[in-house]
Order: sequence, then structure tokens, then C-alpha cells
Amino acid sequence: MIVRVLLAVAALALVTAPAWLVSPYHLHVLIMAGIFTILALSLNLLLGYTGQLSLGHAAFFGIGAYTSALLALKLDWSFWLALPSAAVTAGFAGWAIGRLALKLRGAYFVLVTISFAGVISLVSINWMELTNGPLGLPGVPPPELGPWTLRTKPAYYYLVLAGAALTYLVCHRLVRSRIGRALVALRENEPLAESVGIDATRYLVLAAVISAALAGIAGSLYAHYTRFVSPEVFLFSYTVTMVIMVIAGGQGTLVGPVIGAILFTALPEALREAVAWQWQMLAYGVVLIVLVFFLPRGIVPSVARWRRSRAF
Amino acid sequence: MLTRALATFVVVLLALGVAPTTGDAQAPIKIGVIQPLSGPVAASGNYVRMGAEIARDWLNAHGGVNGRKIELVIEDNKSDPKEAASAAEKLIVRDKVPAIMGAWGSSMTLAAMPKLEEYGVPMVVETSSAASVTKRGNPWVFRISPPSEMEALGLEQYVDKLGVKKADFLAVNTDWGRGAIQAFGDMLKKRGVQVGVSEFMEQSATDMNAQLTKIKGTGGDTLFLTTAVEQITLVLRQGQEQRLQRKVITTGGSSSPTQLIKQAGAAAEGSYHIVFFMPWFPEAMPDGKLAKAFVEEWNKRGHPFEGLTEGFRGHDGIATIAEAVKLAGKDEPKAIRDALWKVSFTGVNGPIKFDKDGPAGKESGQSKPSIFVVQVRDGKVALPDFLKK
Amino acid sequence: MEQLLQHLVNGLVLGGTYALLGIGLTLIFGLMSVVNFAHGEFYTLGAYATFGALALAGLPFFLALAAAIVLGALVGALCERTLLRPLRRESIDTVMLVMIGVWIAMQNTELLVWGGVARSIPHPFPTAPLTLGPLNIAPVRLFVVAAAAALIGASWLLIQRTRLGTAMRATFQDRDTAALMGVPIGQIHTITFAFGSALAAAAGALLGPVFLAYPSMGDLASLKAFSVVILGGLGNLAGATLGGLLLGVAEELGAGYVSSGYRDAVGFVAIILVLLFRPAGLFARAERVG
Repeated sequence: MIVRVLLAVAALALVTAPAWLVSPYHLHVLIMAGIFTILALSLNLLLGYTGQLSLGHAAFFGIGAYTSALLALKLDWSFWLALPSAAVTAGFAGWAIGRLALKLRGAYFVLVTISFAGVISLVSINWMELTNGPLGLPGVPPPELGPWTLRTKPAYYYLVLAGAALTYLVCHRLVRSRIGRALVALRENEPLAESVGIDATRYLVLAAVISAALAGIAGSLYAHYTRFVSPEVFLFSYTVTMVIMVIAGGQGTLVGPVIGAILFTALPEALREAVAWQWQMLAYGVVLIVLVFFLPRGIVPSVARWRRSRAF
Repeated sequence: MLTRALATFVVVLLALGVAPTTGDAQAPIKIGVIQPLSGPVAASGNYVRMGAEIARDWLNAHGGVNGRKIELVIEDNKSDPKEAASAAEKLIVRDKVPAIMGAWGSSMTLAAMPKLEEYGVPMVVETSSAASVTKRGNPWVFRISPPSEMEALGLEQYVDKLGVKKADFLAVNTDWGRGAIQAFGDMLKKRGVQVGVSEFMEQSATDMNAQLTKIKGTGGDTLFLTTAVEQITLVLRQGQEQRLQRKVITTGGSSSPTQLIKQAGAAAEGSYHIVFFMPWFPEAMPDGKLAKAFVEEWNKRGHPFEGLTEGFRGHDGIATIAEAVKLAGKDEPKAIRDALWKVSFTGVNGPIKFDKDGPAGKESGQSKPSIFVVQVRDGKVALPDFLKK
Repeated sequence: MEQLLQHLVNGLVLGGTYALLGIGLTLIFGLMSVVNFAHGEFYTLGAYATFGALALAGLPFFLALAAAIVLGALVGALCERTLLRPLRRESIDTVMLVMIGVWIAMQNTELLVWGGVARSIPHPFPTAPLTLGPLNIAPVRLFVVAAAAALIGASWLLIQRTRLGTAMRATFQDRDTAALMGVPIGQIHTITFAFGSALAAAAGALLGPVFLAYPSMGDLASLKAFSVVILGGLGNLAGATLGGLLLGVAEELGAGYVSSGYRDAVGFVAIILVLLFRPAGLFARAERVG
């Protein structure tokens, strides 16, 4: 009961954020948190539900960002066309990875994803004619909705909020569906699942495609918000951040990545306020270690466990 | 537990929101500084910061600006464009700085630029070299560092005296390196110099033997090198190991010849360097007295001597902003922006005055910094023969 | 042709260093299943420790190297006891997350302590290169290859020929049986992690004088080490050695003949191809240990 009330309050707060948040800087932090929520949820599909870790997820994010930016800049496409195109392109890349890494599990799958991301990153730096290389793509136009340009922060915030909510819904439906149950079965015991007729390959590829497409959407939203795309979107540190969000928040749950995304987007910014620049990253590392130590299953599962234990 | 977690979360959010602001008339003038203080180029970012701090202390020692003290609000952009944009937003919105200096690398600067337009706050660019920085039509950008094209022009007069007939390029694979190859290549071709191969190295690469082996096979007489001092050290050392015999000219001003001599030793002998500050003979700078005083103060604070070739940028950036605030009479962003067009004084590098650059109607400001060439001879930095009068 | 030979020599020297990085990680990742993102930080630690020992304590060169290796082992042991042992029952992902935290913490501590400026580590070898016909190679690099070979050889001997090595292999093959046989599992874990970290520190101590020491030098090293481990097969020392050499040569040839910009891509593509066609690693013959 209490949980419901709190969730309702949180939802209400999020929806009305532009009204009560004191400064546009916080709205900026929430927008970034929203984009990372989509990313975390997408990674969670792979990691939490299939048990396969993708350490190249920044590649799908970057592909989405570049696709959207290039279509808008070079072909003058509207944002509402560029976004789905970004999703499709990223999804296609996810399909490629899924089929490539068909038979690989565990550490090997991880390494293929890292290598794939590495190659894509190098292509973005070196293929000057397409991506403008390290010089990046400045001036990505903001979305237009009829007569309005979604250039203001509150407008963009609602766009991102809608995107995040939609992503959550998609994941929610997917997880509760037959597909979701098949994925969990595969995660828990693959040979057994296969023995009852669940085609591992088909479901893993499906999970990879959806996961990548969602990351591509996040990339598009990022590109049109920051209005500048450069090869740094492929930085390994982005993937690391996503992984932290999912695992610390609680993989295999739906709320976990959301909380992880908000927490770990707000944390570096809060550290900016609280700690002198020399100590910020060190503090970040220490917080991470401490968090993992006290909540090794992630925030949400630990909370759920505690609540269950209190029931008796 | 969930309640506690949520409560903490809400409290944190509120804490970020309701920090009190001081409305005192004698409050200090805040200037934002965005630099890469961690990550692979942390050294350079910190040198710029040190130079900025010297400028601040000197200004405050002389009564500040318009009777108020200068305060630097320093943010780390972690060598990540996303962080540079966040830092700019935080400085403008939370700290309410009326002007910023930053953000070192061109990608970082480009990422922060939309925020300048969004909120109407000017930024003085102290290091970035990509042409696009001042050509984007952003009227809030003022650059005191030279774009690669200007650098190449600065070297043009010496090309014959240096005896460059066939040149190869080795550059770091970033906007800076690529821009330099483009600019210097164009300049050399205009003067009839043959251009050989252009090789690249990743920013974090430590082994350049493959590239050097290729370069060795071209038969050129000069190697143009554009990267930071660490990679230059490695390239020179590995070039020595491969017995690469040719003239080396480094561009970009980040070669820190003193550090190079220390770390590359004999391998650095004979190399030429384009620099924007000559701390070895400060009297030769346009304002010799100021340059000498800067070097002395830097040494007094125990900062590494090799950092001077980059640290001066921090000084000149802050001095430029302070000059604009003085002319404007108040620390209000638009007034400072307008005043920047009127600024005309001499910094450590030389005269600083902004010309219009970029699309008509929304020009950015670009100053014409002084460009120098030095050479490493007998384990010391000296003026090249053809410059000695 | 001469260029090809020089490229090959460069590649082998580079590969020797990759091999050294790889064998440390293959023990930690391959045997202990710890996704050690902080492996590169032990590499960095080795380099800075050598610098500190030489520049601050004034130790002779070879003693400084030894000190760096010992420090790597000690810090590794400390890490295992305080962070990994309490989390041993947790999932591999949780452990990975902790090691990410250690990675961030170690790197930024190094940044705080030494500053961001790269340090040059002096070495006693002559700087003039040795010339064999058209080939040039610096004496210090030859030393690195020789030292790496010695360390790899010693490690192999330890794992295959000593009781300690047998105990390690037993622990990671079947923990419960090993425990029943009286093997002190806890200590074995600590020793293995310390050993792997010491090897990483050795790589850093050897390579520091060749290149430079700076705080973020470990990032690329970690990634390359993981590549080498997978190429060679998890837990496979010989495989990691050969994998390292192969990666070095492939990168050199790629950078020399394809494009220097895409240099690292060669390594990545090689990995993808290997994993597509021989997922257990290039050199896997039998069931891997652990």
C-alpha cells in the first residue's frame, strides 16, 4: 500500500517536474537521466533477462545518434522520421550481433560485443566522408512538432519522459509475454529450455534486436538534445555507466534500471556540487564499491528482500 | 528501506535545488573555467588551470576588477563532450557565472557552444584549434588561440629557410591532428612542397613503429608531427630506434620542448617546434616584462617549468575576460559579450583583439595570436639560426 | 621486404608485452572467473612503482623492477582479501561491478598522487638501436622480451610443476573436491589473484621505461589483455602467450599495410573472426581448466 502511494507520488512529481524544479540545470539532469533510463532498460533486456552481458552497448547508442543526426543534417529529414530510422538501424546492428554471436555465451559473447563496438568506434573516427570523423556533427536540429520547435527544456523533457515511459511499457509487456518467459527460461537453464522446444537462437536474436533498437532511440534523443554528435558517444565509459546502472539498480527487474539510471546520472552531478574537482571521480569509485558491498544484488532486489523478511 | 531510499533521493534532489544565493553587491565576480582535469589530457588541463589561477591572483592583488575580487569556478569536463556541456550548464545556471573560459579540446568546446547560445553567456576559447569553433555562427564565442590555418600561415614564411622539400605527416587522430594535416598540407602545396604520406595515431597509442616504418620508406626530408608532448616523446624515441633521419617540426603548441628534452633526450635534438609562448627567453615576447613576470610567478609556485607552454593560455583567457568586465563596467553576460569586441590589450602571448569570423550577422570573435618557432640544440631550447638577427 | 621484416620484428616485440598482460589475466579471469576491469590498473601501478623506486628511493634498476612486482602482488592480495572474498558467493556481475569501482578508484588515486603529467622512467640500457641488416631494435625492448619470456616460463613452471600450481588447478577445476582433499581454498584464491596482479605489475614495470607512465595507461592495456585471454582460451597460459604474439603481429601488419587509423580494428576483427570459427580460443585442444 505504502509502495503504491510512493510510486504514485514519484510519478506525479516526474510528470510535473518543470513546474516545481527550481532550476533548468536540474531539468537538464533529469533529461539526461531519462535518456539513460532508456539505455539502462535496453541493456537490462539482454543482461537481466537473457543473462548475456553486452559490453558494446554504447555502439547501438552511437549508431542511433549518428543515424538520426546524419539524416536530419544531410537529408533534412524531420526528427519524427529520423528517430524511428535510428531505431531500425540500431536494431539491424543488434540483429547482426545476435546472429554473429549465435553460438557464443558468457565471456565470449562479451568479447564479441566489445570488439564490435571497437570497430564501429574506429569507423566513426576514420570514415571522414560519412561522419566527419573527430570533428563531429555540430548543429543537429531540434525536433519540430507542427508549428512548435521543441527547443525549450520543458518541451524536450516531456519528449524524453514519453520515450522513457514507452520503453518501460515495451519492456514490461515483453517480459510478461511468452517471449519474456522464454528468455527467462533460457537464462535459468538453457539446455532444459531447449529441450522443451525453446529456440535459444531465435529468442536471443530477438532480445538483441529489441535491446539495440531501444538503445538507438536513446541515441537519437541524445543527438537532438545536445545538438552535437562526435565519436565520443562510443566511449567505453558510456557502456560502463550503463552497466553500473543496470547491475546496481538490480538486473532482471524492471524498476531497477530506472532507479539505477536516475541515481547514477544524479550522482556525478551531485558530486560536482559537493566535492572539489580533484576528488570527484575518486568519490564516484568509492561510492560504487560501497554500494555493491552493501547491496550486492542491486538496490531493488535488496529492498524487495528486506521487505519480504520484514513480513515475518 | 524503500521509504528511506526514496526519502534520501528526494532530499538529494531538493538539496540540489535550494542552495542559497548571495545577493551581495560586493560579491566576487565569478568566472567559469571548464578544462579536462582528469583523463588522458589531465596534465594540459591542469596547466591551463594553474595559469588561470595566476591571473586571478594578480588581478585580485591589484584591487580586482571594478573594485570586486575575481573568483574562478572550476569544472572538470573529463575529456568528454557530454560532460563539457553539463559543466557549462551547471556553471551558467547554478553558479550564475557571467562568462566562461574553456573547454580545451575542440569537441568539448563545440559541445558546450549550444549552451552559450541557449542562455546568452560568452565564452573565451583558449586552446581549441578546429576551424569550426568560430565558423558556426555563434556570436558568444571568442577565441584567443590560433586555428590550424593561422598556424600554418605563421610558418609559411620559414618554409624555404627550413629547407622543406618533401614532407610527411604524423598526427593524433582527433579534430586537432586532422585539422593540422589539412591546414599545413594546403599551405605546403601552395609553396610547391611535395606532400608524402599522412599517418595517424590513436590518442592513447604508445607504439608508433608501424607508422614510422612506413614514413621511413617515403624518402621525405621533413616530418610534421601534431600531438601532445607524451606522444611526441614516444615518436621521437621510436624514430631514433628506427634510425629515422629527418627534420621534425611539431605543430599545435603542445610540444613542451623542455619536457621533451628531459624525456626524449638525444632523440629530440634538432627538432623544431611551433609554440605560442617562449618561456626560455620571455624578453623576446611582445610584452617582455609581463612574460618574464609570469614565468617567475609560475616558478615561484613550484609548477613544472614544462607546463608554461600551455599554462599561459589560462592566464590570457582570464585576463581577456577581466578586461572585458572592466570595459563593460558590470558582470552581466551580454554587456561582457559586447565589451569583448572592444578589448585590445597585450597578454602573455601578445596583442589580443577580436576580428569578426564566420557567417555575417552572427560572427564569432577570433584574435590573431603570435606564433613562434624554436629549435632544440645541444639539449637546450634556442631560436633557430634563421631567426637570429 | 625490409619493411615487412621490420614490421614483423616490431609486432613480435609488441606481442611479447601483450602476452605478459594476458597471462596474468587468464589466471584471474580464466581460473577465478573474475571480470577484472582493474587489471590494467595493476599494470599502471607497476609502472609508477618502478618510477617511485627509481626516482624517489634511488634503488638500482633491477631492484626497482622487483619491488614493483612485489607491490603488485601485495596490493592484489589485499584486494582479494578485502573485496573479493566477502563477495565470493555473489554473481559474476556483482564482482565485475566492484572491480569497475576499483578501476576508477585506483586510476584517480594515481592521478591525485602523481599528477597528470607523464613520467619518463630512466633505464640503464643504451639508447642507440642494435642494427641487424635492415632491421633496427632498441636494446631495452630486447630486454623486455627476454624478461617477459622468463616470467612466462617461470609462471608455467609454477602452474604445471609445483604443488602450489597443482593446488591452484585443482581449486579451480573442482572446488569442493579440492577442499575435501585439504587444499586451503581461501589462500589459493588470494595467491592466484596476487600472482595475476603481480604479472600485470611486471608488465607495467617492464614497459614503463619503454614508453611513459601516466594515469590512464591501463585502460587500453585492460582491453588488450581481455582480447589476448579470449584468443588463447581462458586459463590457457600457452594460449595466452601465443595469442599475445599473434595480436601484436596482426596489429603491426594492419597498421603498416592497411591503415594506421584502423590499427586497433585489426585486433577487434581478428577477435570476432576467431570467436566465430573457434570459440574456445585458437589453441584449445582439450577441455579448458575451470
